[in-house]
Amino acid sequence: MQTEKLIQSLLEQVRQIINQAETIKNYDLRTLTWKENETSWNMLECLEHLNLYGDFYLPQIENKIKSSRFKPTPEFKSGYLGNYFAKSMLPKAKLNKMKTFKDKNPLNEKLDKTVIDRFISQQIKLLELLNQSRNVSLDKVRIPTSISNLIKLKLGDTFQFFINHIIRHLQQVDRIKAAMKKEGTRVADLQHAL
Amino acid sequence: MKEIIALSTKTITLERNEYLKVKGSIDCNVYYIESGTLRIFISDDYEEQIIRFGYKENLIAALDSFLTGKPSELYIQAIKKSTIKVIMKPQIDAFLQVDANRNLWIKILEDLVLQQMEREIDILTNSPRERYERVFRRSPQLFQEVPNRHIANYLRMSPETFSRLKKC
Repeated sequence: MQTEKLIQSLLEQVRQIINQAETIKNYDLRTLTWKENETSWNMLECLEHLNLYGDFYLPQIENKIKSSRFKPTPEFKSGYLGNYFAKSMLPKAKLNKMKTFKDKNPLNEKLDKTVIDRFISQQIKLLELLNQSRNVSLDKVRIPTSISNLIKLKLGDTFQFFINHIIRHLQQVDRIKAAMKKEGTRVADLQHAL
Repeated sequence: MKEIIALSTKTITLERNEYLKVKGSIDCNVYYIESGTLRIFISDDYEEQIIRFGYKENLIAALDSFLTGKPSELYIQAIKKSTIKVIMKPQIDAFLQVDANRNLWIKILEDLVLQQMEREIDILTNSPRERYERVFRRSPQLFQEVPNRHIANYLRMSPETFSRLKKC
């Protein structure tokens, strides 16, 4: 794949992510903290989960870009593992549940709207890093994963993986919204029956 | 300008704060603002600097991308809910095959050069008061449509300086 094409498609995905976050920002706190059951996440928890990953990956990516001496290349080829990780993040038609690492699980933390602001500033940072990545090789620069320092992915794959992970959880936010609406109608029906 | 707007086959709606374009993207479209207000700005790790605003019935673009086909640093963001007609570069290129249309296009670009010059003088004017007054004379519209903090940024002054100048 052409490197610039990849960067363009990633920038466009991040643009849409920010716009979706701006929509979420308009929801009231009751919507943002509504959850289907005790063990599931509310919208703020989904975003905080993403923030925790951002806290890990964004500084890593920034440092690796700064310290790299690998020149940019016009073509990028996904690594075997990187491609697998990135693809596995994308939600499938039938929901494939995934396990969350404990240190990335914000369940039942006290969260407020600043979570969304933090999320949006992380996306602006990500745009900045995508732009800076034009000066290095997306192929040769390798980023350690949060799973293990020993497992490293190509910078290009890390971007794709990181962004797909965000898309995954923003779809979860959409599902929460839909579930809440459904319950709202049920309550209204019940009140009507009474 | 009507002829150019008529080329558009796509309309998009942006809610407040949503982005039309982000830094680094290649965007060769011209946009006609049917309703709403947008800001065009650049940003580095430390701060944002607003370059221009787009109002209802204006044409806006990431002109660098439009002309060169290369990535542009500019961000374009709605500061109010906006409806925007998209005119794509190939549509403009086809339009410019006709001589009469080319004259219209040159007029639009010439007008833009003049606006850019005004803006350049704005930025290079030393006194904040004079910067304020120049812009106020030229586009009083700005002061009605755009929140103060954005105007202050556009005028390259702190919000405090801006509100002090606005009072007297």
